[in-house]
Amino acid sequence: MSALAGFGHFLPDGVLSNETLAAEFHVTPDWIVSMCGIQTRRVVAAEETVCDLAERAATACLQDAGMTPDKLGAIIACTGTPHRQFPGVSAEVQKRLNAPGIPAFDLHLASISGLFGVALADRMCEQWGPTLVVAAETMTRVLAQEPRVKETAILFGDGAGACLVTPGDAPLAIRDICVASDATFSEALRMDFGSTFQMDGRTIILHAARKLARAVAELLEKNSLRVDQVSLFLFHQANLRLLERLMKELQIDPHQCFINGDKYGNTSSASWLIAASEAKAAGLLRPGMKVVIAAFGAGLSWGAALVEVVSLVSKTGF
Amino acid sequence: MALDDKIREALARVAKAPIPTDREASLFDTGVIDSFDLVDFVADLEKEFQVKVPDNDLHPSKFESLARIAAYLSSQGAS
Repeated sequence: MSALAGFGHFLPDGVLSNETLAAEFHVTPDWIVSMCGIQTRRVVAAEETVCDLAERAATACLQDAGMTPDKLGAIIACTGTPHRQFPGVSAEVQKRLNAPGIPAFDLHLASISGLFGVALADRMCEQWGPTLVVAAETMTRVLAQEPRVKETAILFGDGAGACLVTPGDAPLAIRDICVASDATFSEALRMDFGSTFQMDGRTIILHAARKLARAVAELLEKNSLRVDQVSLFLFHQANLRLLERLMKELQIDPHQCFINGDKYGNTSSASWLIAASEAKAAGLLRPGMKVVIAAFGAGLSWGAALVEVVSLVSKTGF
Repeated sequence: MALDDKIREALARVAKAPIPTDREASLFDTGVIDSFDLVDFVADLEKEFQVKVPDNDLHPSKFESLARIAAYLSSQGAS
């Protein structure tokens, strides 16, 4: 059994508005909102790197968990926008945290990486010890490459989120976690060497809508839970229209669903971790609560997790 | 009711623009449905025609036009 012992996130200061994008693509800000529900996105500064974002989120996470880097057992960095092919973001995070001698590696599954990282840490942290899962993305830098496509340029933002997975069951016990992949339509979401990000939006939305709904429904059924017994849903903030559809299909009341994608856009692997970090900071995670996390990404891959807030042991408010 | 008519009836429930008379016309390019409408439309087709669209068949190209939808549903045994 393992637990989520802390969260952290970091968002760069730069803001990309709908007005700016609307002027570039000759559309209206209202059209952008109608397509994705996003109002603003955060953007890295020219001198910032994906490693800078990851380091800031990782440091915030360790602080939240009350843990020093020398106690870490492993580091898993999740990103679809690494600064180079190898060594990965994990190596830079390990160096900057000064946590040598432990496994540190990257997962490249775009938006689902964070959940796959937690699933892996959940299985391995008994052996490794406390495992830092940090997800960071500089999507706007990738999407700055020509040809720019409005359907993707309006969706994504930059940011980083992190969590610490520890042996034990407190403060947030991981009760269940399921992840899966099906490569039948893997080409629909990809980034080739030397090329920009490519997404067949229609295929991705069809599969994300079906697989996220199914993953959540199966997770709840397996754990004998109804939707109304879940206090909070933390979805990958892919597109607010997709989330609205999911809520409707699963009969999730809007107050059960944490939304911050309107402010930050789709931050890919970091999005649900940023949401979790913000939800905790806002005091939304209280003992006894059941929380469902669900995400979808490259592969195509998807997954869902059930966690339960067990105790108030963290120094920062659990 | 003919298959085409039943498809048009289902399509009318999600359509944002007039359904083209040309069976080959793209429902996306003519603004009849967008990506999110397609999700609802496929679910509606499954219910209406009592077929299951397996994940391997879940691709927009199969639902691009009235002709393609009819061909796909026929291949799944719908009538």
